[in-house]
Amino acid sequence: MSEAELRTAVAGHRWLQSLRLRPDLVTPGLKPEAQLKAEEAALFDTLNLKGAHLLEIGAGNGAFSFAALRRGAARVLATDHLAWTLPGSDALSATQWAAHALGAGIEMSPLDPRELTPRFGSFHVVMATACFDQLFNPIQALRGMRSVTERVLLIETLQDGLADARPLMMGHGQVLPIGGPEGSWVFGWGPNLPLMTQLLTDLGFSRVLYRHHPTLGAARGLYAAFLPEAPDGLLEGFHTPWINVTSPQAA
Amino acid sequence: MTPQSELSDQELLARIGRITWFHSLELRPGIVTPGAKSLAVLRREEEALLGPFDLRGRSVLDIGAWNGAFSFASKRRGAARVLATDEFAWTHPTYKGLESFELARAELGLEVETLQLDPTRMDASLGQFDLVLFLGVFYHLFDPIDVLQRMRAVTGQVLLVETHQDALEREEPAMVFYPGRTLANDDTNWWGPNPPLMLHLLRQLGFARIYYRDHPHYLPAEGSRTRGIFAAILPGAEPAMSAHFGIEWRDLGAAGAMRDFRP
Ligand SMILES: C[S@@+](CC[C@H](N)C(=O)[O-])C[C@H]1O[C@@H](n2cnc3c(N)ncnc32)[C@H](O)[C@@H]1O
Repeated sequence: MSEAELRTAVAGHRWLQSLRLRPDLVTPGLKPEAQLKAEEAALFDTLNLKGAHLLEIGAGNGAFSFAALRRGAARVLATDHLAWTLPGSDALSATQWAAHALGAGIEMSPLDPRELTPRFGSFHVVMATACFDQLFNPIQALRGMRSVTERVLLIETLQDGLADARPLMMGHGQVLPIGGPEGSWVFGWGPNLPLMTQLLTDLGFSRVLYRHHPTLGAARGLYAAFLPEAPDGLLEGFHTPWINVTSPQAA
Repeated sequence: MTPQSELSDQELLARIGRITWFHSLELRPGIVTPGAKSLAVLRREEEALLGPFDLRGRSVLDIGAWNGAFSFASKRRGAARVLATDEFAWTHPTYKGLESFELARAELGLEVETLQLDPTRMDASLGQFDLVLFLGVFYHLFDPIDVLQRMRAVTGQVLLVETHQDALEREEPAMVFYPGRTLANDDTNWWGPNPPLMLHLLRQLGFARIYYRDHPHYLPAEGSRTRGIFAAILPGAEPAMSAHFGIEWRDLGAAGAMRDFRP
């Protein structure tokens, strides 16, 4: 791959994420590089990923999967559903170009998280960013993700209904640059914190930690949900602003 | 439609007495099952739910049929084929739902098929029915989105959803989650959607028009609107199945339809 070919490929794709492929070459993505870096730090500075097996759901262009690999993960499987499968989508091809340019040995496979079952295998860490915002059925997707999680599930999501003490989620639609040339209208959800805590608890996670988004505040939230099998030491890196929001029922 | 039952009144009453009933059904003149829903309530519900449709010659699938009031009502309204399904109440030790259904069916002499199957496991292999009754079930499901998608797959023309609802003060789509026994001290209650949410979900599933009416017993005038009825119509539905919505119904796709749901 020559530099010219790479630049042509970057210009020829629509990008969901701004990835620095060369010191002077950043893909023109929907999500800015600074936000991705802040999310990466907020999610991954907490955990020692050395030797970990990580599954990413809704990887987009793979920014977090590439980051996990840089941070020492032994196996990284990047997956996406709509953005990699809608007719006319070029996000998988874009991600393959990015992996090639970065020399990043990640696995890539289209995957609908609703279809995950334990037969798929298991991963120390499962993660999903822009999680509820782009899922028609986040309940089933969370259940699928839980079924392949060995220790911890990391979630970054849109939030809504934050003034409400009742657990609830609100429907949201948005047009994303995926599928056909005009993009696609994607239906998703904004949950509030009580709902996330309850759902994760009902799905069998015994400890749930939360923090606001590092640059966007409470409009988006980060969650780390631990299975009972996860060793206590895993929680050591979760300092302020992470807080424990484990439901009393989970004990 | 001749009753097939050989039971004496005495025997029938004894069998009725061994079951906890949800629906009041008049099995013989003067013999009514003691349901949590009275005959009068069921009559009003039947009119509200089935009134808009000409069921003659059509097929009906009743999800969560329990004792069968709406399956039997559909058959009486001329449906050619009615399939009643349930599992939770049908296999429940005190509700004895399947036994209750079979007892009532034999007494009423109505030809209604049964299938013991939970809605969480239904798919298109069941076939498609002109009218699907999904009454009082949505809020009992931990994952109602998945089941609504399954209901879409078995609907030929119209899906009728009756449900508990919540978040009526919001004009944006929302659904409230009830952990444990939060709602009505019943740990089988999970979600309360609002009408804008039902509109969004049903539209996403490919329904062309969605009509709403208040439940006849949970009217705003009576201080609560905690249950509602949604008729979701597929593109290409016949007029007999989609054109007779009276003034109690509103088209949720019309401008301003979401205002005025406030409790
Ligand atoms: C409130 S009753 C409604 C009965 C009837 N359709 C009516 O409208 O009068 C709820 C029905 O949902 C069924 N059901 C299905 N899944 C259920 C679940 N997970 N928990 C409780 N009930 C469930 C029950 O068996 C029962 O028949």
